[in-house]
Amino acid sequence: MHIPENYLSPSTCGVMGVVMVPVWLHAARKVRETVPREKVPLLGVAAAFSFLAMMFNVPIPGGTTGHAVCGTLVAILFGPWAAVLSISIALVIQAVLFGDGGILALGANCFNMAFVLPMVGYGIYVLVMRAFASRSSAGGSQAHRNAAQAPTLELVAAGVGSYVGINAAALCAAIEFGIQPLLFSNAAGQALYCPYPLWVSIPAMLAGHLTVAGAAEAIFTVGILAYVRKVAPSFGAGSALVTTGSFANGEALPQSQVRRARAGLAALLVALVVLTPLGLLATGGAWGEWATEDIAESVGYTPAGMATGWEWSSLLPDYSLGALPDWAGYVLSAVIGVALLVIVFRAIAAGMKSKVDFGTR
Amino acid sequence: MEPGSDRPSPSGAPAPERSLPSWLAQPEAYKPASDRDGFVQKSLLSLTGVLSRLRIDDGQTTPFSPSAPVKLACGLALILMTSLSSNFAFTLVMTAAVLLRMAILPSKALRRAVGVSFTAAGVSALVMLPAFLVGQPQSALLVGTKVLVCVGVAMVVALSTPVHQLTGALRTYHVSNLVIMTFELALKNIVTLGSVATEVLRALDLRSVGKNRSKGASMGGVGGVTFLKANKAARTTADAMRCRGFEGEYQAVPRDAYKRVDIAWILAVAAVCVLFVYLQGVA
Repeated sequence: MHIPENYLSPSTCGVMGVVMVPVWLHAARKVRETVPREKVPLLGVAAAFSFLAMMFNVPIPGGTTGHAVCGTLVAILFGPWAAVLSISIALVIQAVLFGDGGILALGANCFNMAFVLPMVGYGIYVLVMRAFASRSSAGGSQAHRNAAQAPTLELVAAGVGSYVGINAAALCAAIEFGIQPLLFSNAAGQALYCPYPLWVSIPAMLAGHLTVAGAAEAIFTVGILAYVRKVAPSFGAGSALVTTGSFANGEALPQSQVRRARAGLAALLVALVVLTPLGLLATGGAWGEWATEDIAESVGYTPAGMATGWEWSSLLPDYSLGALPDWAGYVLSAVIGVALLVIVFRAIAAGMKSKVDFGTR
Repeated sequence: MEPGSDRPSPSGAPAPERSLPSWLAQPEAYKPASDRDGFVQKSLLSLTGVLSRLRIDDGQTTPFSPSAPVKLACGLALILMTSLSSNFAFTLVMTAAVLLRMAILPSKALRRAVGVSFTAAGVSALVMLPAFLVGQPQSALLVGTKVLVCVGVAMVVALSTPVHQLTGALRTYHVSNLVIMTFELALKNIVTLGSVATEVLRALDLRSVGKNRSKGASMGGVGGVTFLKANKAARTTADAMRCRGFEGEYQAVPRDAYKRVDIAWILAVAAVCVLFVYLQGVA
């Protein structure tokens, strides 16, 4: 779903960037207001989950690949605006260091994966949770049983939310692809940028995301959420368990719990990093992420905007290292990405002013 | 009756009404001229900043940290290999390792390490900006990444090792006693004289209120007092050395200071060496 460079016209990229600027500013303000300073580094860990999930490519019928984003997961753990900010930073790192997604298309990619996905996913999650809650309050005698089932219900809501969220994001990406040939073509009727119109791009994108990629998103979200709730129950916006080892009221937690939570999260990150080469098993590229030569072969001409377009020279293009095997490049990229995300969010936390609440008298 | 009291006099006659003195009834409109003490405040801030960095970040070791001599040697080896590497893959492997280590530094150390290393890398990339213009962006990326790794390794070694352990490690590698003593005394004097300068500047700030011309002239006095104190501190240090029988001879790190974890670190750096040689051959 990462739109590469030159697939969208510069004007489309500009519009999407302008749309995202107020969204980023609002998200930054909301994060400053709602996420306590000591929890900001955890946001980096959540962004790292999303970064790693995007590296696991799954094969989609038709010869293309797709991947999970885990935007709904971050939104459930830290709130939708925190998800906007953290997934945007993950996408910037992917575009700048690994050439995954275009630099000019960053606004569009962030709009689809960092804004639409977590907002829609979280909205659906909240609606489903409310539906469960209203049913349990109406049920009367079933209230106790429903309370015991609450964790399962949350996972169901998260699965439904993440599935709808990623499909909403895919639909947006398909529309952005599809309007290009309708808006930008030369006198001969040849597209200047992405050559596939709406009636091709929407079915092609949604076919993959309604089936395999959507299922992958739901499985990743539900799996990681279930693990986090079990190993580090207060990882999200609930408490400062992992970083400070104490609740907001200063009550200290048992050291064993803190250690267990930290070790559990670190183990999950390490396991995901080590397993990223599994993403290489899926052969073929994602829909809409082909090389220019492949496009020329498939439509019979090279769109003019792609032939003369600007290309960013990234550190590890396509997560590969050249001299080293592909799996090593993948693992190395995962380590660099995760480390950078943790550093960025820890540096943000270090730069934030600490808020001390002296209470009201 | 007490002056100013409202009670009637013992004779029963009402007390004569007392009015406020005219000068006291005047509305107060005291507006002091704005103080020009920007330079004093700036000097104070920069001095305090240097002192806080020197005092707070005195290196923090972790249970997995190697002993100081091994850490110093490993750091130098990694910087040397990164500088000599002609294969970008090796630089990227080192980048991953350095970023991973930085990510788990304590908060304050992380801020300094990231600030210094990323600024250095950014300046290097800026200097290499013409490479982008002539179509060689890889050169700028290579230089920027190498600078990031080298400065990052140096910062991690410095921020995770207490100063006294570093001086001991230098002696292990037969660095001259005079060099170590100069290094150590310089650091300690920066702290001592910095504190003196801060106190004098604070006194100047408190005593010289409002706009006046003598404030700027006093800056020379601050320098003079600090210089005199430096002289005194040097004599005191010399006396202290004589009293304790210290002739400027530093002890190398004793054998029992080495840890088991050192072996793991040496093996890891040896593996990096093998990777370096392999990748040089591939390039």
